[in-house]
Amino acid sequence: MHAVFRQRLPSRLIFLAVRALLALGLAGCATPPPADDPDAVADFVQTNDPLEPTNRVFYKINDGIDTVILKPAAQAYRYVLPDRVRTGVHNVLDNLGGPVRLTDDALQGKPRRAGDTAMRFLINTTAGVAGIFDVAKEVGYPGHDTDFALTLANWDVPEGPFLFLPILGPSSPRDAAGFGADMAINPFTWIGQGTTAHTVGSWTRTALGALDQRTGMLDVVDNVKKTALDPYATFRSLYRQNRTAKLATLRADNQATIPIWWPQGKNTGETGQSQNPTPR
Amino acid sequence: MKRMLHRRHCLTAALIMAGSGLPFHRAQAQAVEKANAFLQQTGDRLVAIVNGALTAPQKRQAITQILEGTVDVDGVARFCLGRFWRIASTDQQKRFVAAFHEVLVTNISSKLGDYKGVKLTVQRGRQQDDEAIVTTVVERPSNPPTTVDWLVEKPAIAPKIIDVFTEGVSLRLTQRQDYASYLTRNNNDVDALINAMKQQTAQKG
Repeated sequence: MHAVFRQRLPSRLIFLAVRALLALGLAGCATPPPADDPDAVADFVQTNDPLEPTNRVFYKINDGIDTVILKPAAQAYRYVLPDRVRTGVHNVLDNLGGPVRLTDDALQGKPRRAGDTAMRFLINTTAGVAGIFDVAKEVGYPGHDTDFALTLANWDVPEGPFLFLPILGPSSPRDAAGFGADMAINPFTWIGQGTTAHTVGSWTRTALGALDQRTGMLDVVDNVKKTALDPYATFRSLYRQNRTAKLATLRADNQATIPIWWPQGKNTGETGQSQNPTPR
Repeated sequence: MKRMLHRRHCLTAALIMAGSGLPFHRAQAQAVEKANAFLQQTGDRLVAIVNGALTAPQKRQAITQILEGTVDVDGVARFCLGRFWRIASTDQQKRFVAAFHEVLVTNISSKLGDYKGVKLTVQRGRQQDDEAIVTTVVERPSNPPTTVDWLVEKPAIAPKIIDVFTEGVSLRLTQRQDYASYLTRNNNDVDALINAMKQQTAQKG
């Protein structure tokens, strides 16, 4: 359910969500454990969820909405459409995120990732028929996931306390800010704004995006709800670990800027220099 | 003469390397190799059960056998109780570990159906402190391949799995935080946790 809407949601909803959070949210704070129990205090600090009571309220609301609307819709989506069509939809949505990802890759100082994203967008938009087919992956430009919150993280901006946002799900001040920034960066947020085509387009994109992401998480969410004693705490843990792992992957990704199909000996300076003088 | 001296230095250096660094690296490489083989073997056994034609109780029995032999369940249980392990009485610790065994077997057995047609391939291993991390790729029909890392303790002597990472998410850490939150919200009562665990396994049988 959560992180379902992360990428694509019209700005109006976000404002509503943030306003609801401000109105309701700041009222309930978690009670810290007594200071004479250092282990409990350490736990409390590590969990870093001072707004837990409020967060739990929003978790319940989101969970209710999910049970009634999103989950059945995702189940229907998976039931009605064959695998291939859903993959096509997923690819189109993914491709539309290309420009944002390119900006983020560049701001993160990852030239290879930026190059991959640029080539993916060019190849998949044309040869991949508006992004339906992921041709770029086959020719040596694998995709990756990134967002502005990871850019901030890469710049050492701290995460801040845990937040469970209405509709958006698990987040943090850094991730919420990153989400807003990604919307602002996205050319599709602005191109043709005010026209009917833009309105229809952005709502379609939002709805399909939600369905696509929720469908991908059907098994995971069901499993957590079945096995966790405290699903809220488990989702919090999963979300945080997932973000930390993504940041670690991003930081460790310092590949050279030669694509896979290019003979790897060339241009590396050392290995293939003598046998393969690079044509200039 | 100079050349001989030089040669002698080289020889000394080589001996020192042979005496210290190299065997260490070799031992590490061997440990990683052993961990890889151990995981491939365990994976093959699991896959055989998942794709095999046993009845549900038989499958559960087989899973229990594999778990007890290849996973340090007691150690993982202790890790999952975290700081509450010290609060718990010896009796509570015992009952918690017993309940944990049941929960683990039940959770795995109930998911077996989803994994029909699964394939597990060991990709590589590496040493981290005293443990080995083995990276595998799990492929399921009509699902994208998933990277699963296995944390193996004592890889050279008596390898046992102590954690599983799916896309960077630690199973035992998630479980520990689930239990910690449950306990904090139930007056740190370990008995309440054990009861909740038992209820869970009873529901799913």
